[in-house]
Amino acid sequence: MMHLKKISGLLFSAIFLFQSLHAQQFDLLLKGGHVIDPKNKIDAIMDVAIANGKIAQVANDIAAGNAKKVIDVSGLYVTPGIIDMHVHAFNGTDVDAYIANGLTALPPDGFTFRAGVTTVVDAGSSGWRNFRQFKKQTIDKSQTRVLALLNIVGNGMVGRFEEQDTTDMNPEQTAYMIKKLYPDIIVGIKAAHFWGGFTQVDLAVQAGNLANVPVMVDFGEHQPPNSIEALFMQHLRPGDMFTHTFSYGPTNRETIVDENGKVKPFVFAAQKRGIIFDVGHGGGAFSWRQAVPAMQQGFQPNVISTDLHAESMNSGMKDMSNVMSKFLAMGMSLQDVILRSTWNPANAIKRPDLGNLSVGSDADVTVFNVLKGDFGFLDIRKTKLKGTQKLSAELTIRAGKIVWDLNGISAPTWEEELKSSK
Amino acid sequence: MRNQSAYQVTPSGSIRVAGRVFFVVVLILASVFTDAQQYDLLIKNGYVIDPKNKLDAIKDVAIAEGKIAKIAANIPATDSKKTIDATGLYVTPGLIDMHTHVFVGSKAGTFADGIYSVSADDFSFRSGVTTMVDAGTSGWQNFALFKEQVIDHSQTRILAFLNIFGAGLGGGQAIKDISTINEDSSIAVMQRYKEIIVGARIGHYDGSDWTPFNSALDAATKMNEPLFVECHLPQYSLQDQLNKMRPGDIITHSYEEISERMPVVDSNGKLNSFVLDAQQRGVLFDVGHGGAGFWFSQAVPAFQQGLAPNTFGTDLHRFSMNAGMKSILNVMSKYLNMGMSLNDVVTRATWNAAKALKHEELGNLSEGAVADIAVLNLLHGNFGFVDAGGKRLQGNQKLEAELTIRAGKIVWDLNGLSAQPLKQ
Repeated sequence: MMHLKKISGLLFSAIFLFQSLHAQQFDLLLKGGHVIDPKNKIDAIMDVAIANGKIAQVANDIAAGNAKKVIDVSGLYVTPGIIDMHVHAFNGTDVDAYIANGLTALPPDGFTFRAGVTTVVDAGSSGWRNFRQFKKQTIDKSQTRVLALLNIVGNGMVGRFEEQDTTDMNPEQTAYMIKKLYPDIIVGIKAAHFWGGFTQVDLAVQAGNLANVPVMVDFGEHQPPNSIEALFMQHLRPGDMFTHTFSYGPTNRETIVDENGKVKPFVFAAQKRGIIFDVGHGGGAFSWRQAVPAMQQGFQPNVISTDLHAESMNSGMKDMSNVMSKFLAMGMSLQDVILRSTWNPANAIKRPDLGNLSVGSDADVTVFNVLKGDFGFLDIRKTKLKGTQKLSAELTIRAGKIVWDLNGISAPTWEEELKSSK
Repeated sequence: MRNQSAYQVTPSGSIRVAGRVFFVVVLILASVFTDAQQYDLLIKNGYVIDPKNKLDAIKDVAIAEGKIAKIAANIPATDSKKTIDATGLYVTPGLIDMHTHVFVGSKAGTFADGIYSVSADDFSFRSGVTTMVDAGTSGWQNFALFKEQVIDHSQTRILAFLNIFGAGLGGGQAIKDISTINEDSSIAVMQRYKEIIVGARIGHYDGSDWTPFNSALDAATKMNEPLFVECHLPQYSLQDQLNKMRPGDIITHSYEEISERMPVVDSNGKLNSFVLDAQQRGVLFDVGHGGAGFWFSQAVPAFQQGLAPNTFGTDLHRFSMNAGMKSILNVMSKYLNMGMSLNDVVTRATWNAAKALKHEELGNLSEGAVADIAVLNLLHGNFGFVDAGGKRLQGNQKLEAELTIRAGKIVWDLNGLSAQPLKQ
């Protein structure tokens, strides 16, 4: 009898335990937010449940009792964690280098989560010779997911002169590094700051073919400028990326909008062909006089990104949410802005596991507030565009963990704590 | 500069030679033109709070050659090359963050030359800060590296307390290794870099031997500089620490509630009287928010019972930046919402800090002072503020940096206040 009683008691508590576990199958539930998930064509008020660091469910009304923690996000927008496809994060202590292991590159965590970003792509700060150092020093130590484009120059961005060295542009080594060693981290190749003809771009594309990855080109510093039409139509492949799209420095790089304010016809054709146009705002590469007419004539960039580094962080760029807000100010819809900073960059870097809220995806989630007011947005030429909306990251979640909470919407008040302890 | 001699020449006709008249007219025109633009930058109609000079009113602030040139009720816009309308905004001295860790480097697992520290410029200007004080991340063995690698390359002015431990916050056991303490070497470094080093720092020592504390105090005393007392001194009682401190010495993490240090407010919610006595004796209390150094359960009762912080150090580092701390403006806003006046808040982030550091050339808008200026917007709305324990205080005011000026140069402009609208 005693024995049976014990067993039934155990059974009873097991059922009870199962029920209570079942009752809290989710770790975190975001309730009542307006979900924008372009991949899954969701644009409506939905609840988002997270368990074990993954998206567990996105549905109309998920019971609060099912989650250990519930956050009321009504009035806010819930999006996939933002991807900033163009940053320079290879921060280091070589005071003679400008970006590779230098002071102009930035440790990403101070800029990402507060702007809603959960993934950054370093745009060629390192090459095959120093990528391992970058990985050990920064990538492995960051909370932000750091992916990278490998510079076609073996030494990456040490200095402008080193970047001209065609003998240090080795497609085979570059491709080996990507395919054999780090296919999960290196998502493409970068060609930048070259003063000569198409040599660098062609070598980068050669490496891109060997490794089956896209190439991003900063076509910045040719005097006189090279033809961007030739770049788009002859040298790059569909899926390759053109950055600093709205740069205005016509003596260095051909602009996409002509001196009469007209988007050059081949630019539309190039986008149709599959060339990915990246914003890459930076300290010198975003001008209203290019962006505004382009937007008015129906040309939208495929990807919104910052080109974050020490010379852009305190200028007109500021952070990813500010750059996204500029596109709102130019009349782009919020849905289009989110698409261009989540699902579009995920596809551009061939990482469809990112930039979406599909069940089973890593729970990288951003909760935005769209502030209403009187805002000004600076370009790199110190002219401003006025706007009435601005994105502010309320909450950022990386792999299920809250990594930024602007106003403490996930926190209890301190008086509640005192009351409950008494 | 104003051309005094040209002012003395009037076109009265007393000079009869036509050529000379023409020359004089040109001179006058030139002087009118240069005189018209004697200032490089004019901030008009802002509400100026300059605690040193007891300014608390709407004033215009003129800047020339990187210095404060004039503060007055109405300075004509034509006197300046550039004018910014700061109507509805607050104009204060550039903020001073008394407590940061900015000896950033690439070493894993450490603050000194490591990734636990952060870059000053990444966080300063966007929060109205123009001066950051490093709280002993370096010691006499590695201060020179800190200077060469970080301080000399930073746009933010960086001052530093020198850690009494030779390797600073060098990681591992080195930070509590008594054998690295060398008072003479510390004093030699403090003397050599006396423009940058503002005092000695003790913290992170888990022994009960008072040698490290006394050495730091002694070095500070010999240099006539303050001692900065940080956290993680579990064997020293709070009362003993405060008793040993001189007027002008600074204790930080004032409102922490962690097992290794007695909190300032006891378990019945009462402020310990010896703490208030210490402040009245002249010991300075810094916030030192950090990741674990600021709890509303301490700060609110302490503030209500008379212990307001003297300065608003953030304890900025990798583990506080994205937590409840966020930025100095966020920390200052916490006190606004706890009931401190804006003037008192600004005082603690400017003139109080400058005095504590014995750098009275900073933290004020006196004519001739370096033009380090913050233009702040006081937002009204529904805001939440989080402490180190993950608890929230709800409030309705929050400070935001609209414009930051460092040595006369605009280094942050949130909404393009200084910019031309796009001509479409």
